[in-house]
Formats: sequence, C-alpha cells, structure tokens
Amino acid sequence: MLMIRQAWRNIFRNIRRTVLTCTLIASSLVVIILVDSLINSMAGLMVKGITETIEGEAQVYHSGFRDQYDPELYIKNPKSIISYLESDKEVKAFAPRIIVPAMIGSSYNSVGVIVYGIDAEKESNTSRLKSALIEGNYLSGSDRELILGMVIAEKLEVTIGDRIVITSSEINTNQMVQELFRVSGIVRFGPKELDEGFAFINLSNAQRMFNIGEGIHQIAIRFNNPELANSPDLALYKTLSSDTLEAKGWLALQPGLGAILEMTGFSTLIMGVVLFILASLGVVNSIFMSIYERTYELAVSKAIGTRPSGIAILVLLEGLFLALLSCIFGIIITLILGNYLQDNGLPLGVMEFSGVAFPDSLPIKLASYQLVNFPFYVVILTLVAAIYPAIFAARIVPAQAVQKAL
Amino acid sequence: MSKVIEIEKLTRKYGSGVGEVVAINEISLNIEYGEFTAIIGPSGSGKSTLLNLIGGLDKSDSGCVLLAGKDIAKMSGSQMSDFRRDRIGFIFQAYNLIPVLSATENIEYIMLLQGIPSVKRKERVQEMLFLVGLEGLGHRRPSELSGGQQQRVAVARAMASKPEIILADEPTANLDSKTGMALLDMMRQLNEDQGVTFVFSTHDEMIMKRARRLIHLRDGLVALDERNSNATP
Repeated sequence: MLMIRQAWRNIFRNIRRTVLTCTLIASSLVVIILVDSLINSMAGLMVKGITETIEGEAQVYHSGFRDQYDPELYIKNPKSIISYLESDKEVKAFAPRIIVPAMIGSSYNSVGVIVYGIDAEKESNTSRLKSALIEGNYLSGSDRELILGMVIAEKLEVTIGDRIVITSSEINTNQMVQELFRVSGIVRFGPKELDEGFAFINLSNAQRMFNIGEGIHQIAIRFNNPELANSPDLALYKTLSSDTLEAKGWLALQPGLGAILEMTGFSTLIMGVVLFILASLGVVNSIFMSIYERTYELAVSKAIGTRPSGIAILVLLEGLFLALLSCIFGIIITLILGNYLQDNGLPLGVMEFSGVAFPDSLPIKLASYQLVNFPFYVVILTLVAAIYPAIFAARIVPAQAVQKAL
Repeated sequence: MSKVIEIEKLTRKYGSGVGEVVAINEISLNIEYGEFTAIIGPSGSGKSTLLNLIGGLDKSDSGCVLLAGKDIAKMSGSQMSDFRRDRIGFIFQAYNLIPVLSATENIEYIMLLQGIPSVKRKERVQEMLFLVGLEGLGHRRPSELSGGQQQRVAVARAMASKPEIILADEPTANLDSKTGMALLDMMRQLNEDQGVTFVFSTHDEMIMKRARRLIHLRDGLVALDERNSNATP
C-alpha cells in the first residue's frame, strides 16, 4: 500500500512532465477512438448503402446468374421459395425481380440500361427505391409504368409522363421485343452508377415482355436482424441452396466490399500501432527522465533493503498510474468530441466511395467497446513500455548511483 | 565479544591499466558487536568505499566480508537486499529520505518491506519518533523538516528494523555543529542502550572524539587501528 502511495505521489513530483506525457497518451487514445469510429461509420454507411439501396442483405438466384447476369439463368418456378421466405421468421422483407439488359429510348436519345421488373409493394419494403423518388409517382402496379434514374432521365431528356421505348429480346426465344412505357417517376440514389444504370418496371410487365411466365432472376432479402445476413449457418441459406439455386449474404455477394472492410480494419490497426508506439516512446522517455532524477533516491531505497523487484514494481506502478490518468483524460475528451461529432457530424465534403455516396457531414457514433478495449490496450502498452525503464531502475548499483549523485 | 564484521584481504580497484586506482588494498580487520567505530582518513583514502563494501552496496575485486558470520559475496542480489533490510541500517551524508513519503512513512518503509503487521509498525514508528525526538512531526514530509530533523528521521529509519549494524557515511557532514553534536549524542545513546554496532566514515572531529575505536585509512590501507581511550562520554 505504501508503495502504491509512493508511486502515485511520484508521478506528481514533476506535474508538467506528467501532464505532457498524459496528454500524449490521451491524444493517441482520442485519435484512435475517433478514427475507429469514423471508419466504423463509413463502413456502416457503405454496408447500408449496398444492402439498403438495391442489393438487399441476402439474395436467392439461379446458380451462375450473378457471374454474367445471363438472363437465361432464371428461376422458373419461384413459388416454393416465396412461400419459404414468407414463413421464415428471420425474414423481414423480400422482393422478387427480373433483371434484363435493354436499350431504352426517348424521342431524343437512347441508352443501354439494366431493366428491373419489380413487385412494387415488396420492393418498397426491401430496397430504397420508393424513398429515392424525387419526382412523379412510385409504381402502382398499373400497366406500362416506368421509373428511371435521374441521370438517365437527363440523358434521354424526358420527364414525368413522357414516352419511353424499351428494346430487348425475349429470354427463351431471343426474338427482339419492344414495348412502350410512360415515365411515372424519377429516382435519385446518389451514386452516379446507380442513377444512370437502372430502369424499373412492374414485375408483371416484365414477365410478359420477356416471356418468362412466372419466372424471376433474383429475390432480394432483408432480415429482422441484419447481422444474421453473413452467418453461414443460417437455415435459409442451407435450405434454399441447391444445384440450381444459390442463397448468399451480402458479404459473399460483394467480396470486394468485404475486402474493403477488412482493409479499413487493418488500416485502423496499423494506425493504432504507430500511434501507440509513438506514445510508448514518450512514456519510456518520461519514465527514464524520472528515474534519472531519482537515481540517488532509488539507490538509497535499494541500499536500505528494497529488492530489485520492488524497485521495478514501483516504476511499473508509476507507468500504470500514468496510463490510468491518461485514459481517464482521454475518455473525457473522447466523450466530449464524440458527442459533438455524433450530433454535428465530421465535415468531409461530398464523397463517393465504392458506389456509396457519403453525406457532407458524416455523423460519428462512439461504441462502448471503444471506451473499454482501447483504454485497456493503452494500459497494457504503457506497462509494456515501462518494463525497460523498470529493469534499468532495478539494476541501479547503489554505490555507483550514490557516488554519481553526490 | 564476538565479531559482527570480519574483513579479510579486501581489495577494490577502479579503472584499469594506467588509470587504475586501488581504493581499498587488501584490508583485513574485524569489528565486534556493540562497537562505536569511526573510519577516518583524508578524502580519497577509501572510507566510503570500505563502508559500501561492508554494506554490500559495492562488490570487491578480491577478499571477503563476513557479516554476522555470513559471506556477503555468496549472496544473490535479493538475498543481499533482504540481509541489508533485516540486519543493516544505513545513514548517508545527503539527506536520504524518500521525499514523497512523510517522516512516519519513511520510518515505516523498511518495516513494510519486512512484512511487519500494520499495528506493530505504527507502534514502532511512534517509538522511534520519540527516540529521535521528533514526536508530533511524523506527518511532515522531508521538505518540511530541517536538515538535522531529516537526519534524525534517517537514524530512526535505520533503527526501525532493529539492525545489528548501522553504517553511517559522513552523517554529520551537512549539519551544523550543534545539530551534528545532538545527532551524535543520540546515536551514542542508542549504541549504549541497545547495543547496536555503529560504523562511521567521517572527517568530523566530533565523531572522532566520541568514537571508541578509530580506524585510520590512507591510500586504501589501514594506517592505524586504535582504541580511543579518551572518547568523550
């Protein structure tokens, strides 16, 4: 107990040095927590952007369909799948789709797009299509309605009510097919590639136009608990996957996104390691300065019977107190900054990454693990950094130290 | 009387080659329990080195030191620490208290290392403060005490663990003569009342006059080892 008191008082012997060291460690802690939060927010937005915009958290499709988006690889009879999804309690919503490449043309222009045949009601519960509407009306299920991305609408120079001709080929016969639609709505998702790549028509229109009966290409799924999406043990995946069907979560569907998320985690780790190494060097320096100032005192302590291990423990305790003070200081600063950034966001400017548009100000949300794990790592690393000075102090030869000090 | 310190052909050299200095040159001597001995000599004669070697603070190049019959060269670092803690008290020239601890805590420090229970420690601390005339000042930190008071606390700390030997390296060097005299009287009293062996290294005439044995060092050798029959009582 006396040694704990001694160590605690020792760190206040040079208040300026202690404050500077604590500021260094605390700053590293604040930076790493905020960077981790920022990356988490960006990753969260990317995942949400991907899963909520169009893709869904999981998909069921004909085997091989996603490799080339070959329209001939469609699910001929989706009824059993749909009934399964309707009865699965984990499933929050699902949306069957037909996906066919086509040319669409107005009186002024024509462009290549991917035409989505969708069930308007189911789609509105699954993707952001309805909420992305910026002009006109959402699909009502009536014949020949069409929703266009904002960029396509600009390219085709059309507005609500204008006529659009979709030209493609029947899936089974490859015969050319052409139908007239009217623009009922215009959507803006954000990322340009989405706003210039897709056109949406009613599922029944698409099934008739492309002559695939009740067939569909894909069912996008959302779960009550989104974290289930990447669980390989999910019953849905096991039940629906077969030789002709694939059922996968978004991470398996978007391996590129998975790699990006892994890379961001790794970059946080690298940044954390670099920051903490720098902070550790500061700690080593500070403790060494403190030891050099107290060489005589430590030598006397040793002379009167303190074991080398006792001296080492004293120095480690001082390191521990420095770390604890720094963590308290760092957590307070983090909470203040975190609360501000949660409410006001971090102004990053307009940014688009991996097909996801980020808002001008990115809100940063702190997680409880950050306020527990990172300070814990700081304490451990500070203690590790204090080991070398502690060994040095333990090896002080009393006679030499007393002589030098005098 | 039996020997508490036995020194046999003890040598300590510093440096090497042309720059080699023999600080202690094959010194042999014995000190018995209860002696009040001063090692005296000019600067550089090897007084402090000899005291450091006796206390196991430094290692000799050859020869041996037996404390209470035990060869300190054969002890490990921790064993030596424990031996010093339990059987030797140190008083240094510079005020050697731990500045962040109060007088009470400084005195308690060694007893804590010895694992003495709290109640006994507190009792002993009060006893030692009374003995060195500092009752009521135990709560003060070293910076709040005068030089003489600090050395008294150092004596109390050295005595607290009930050692057999107290090694004092120029204990009065930084004190005025009146304070030094009072401190010396106190140590002499402890020697007479409790039989603790005191070994000083000193230049101080006061100590020389009061020591019952004077060991004169010159160039690392014992020039004279005499009983001081005229020691001031």
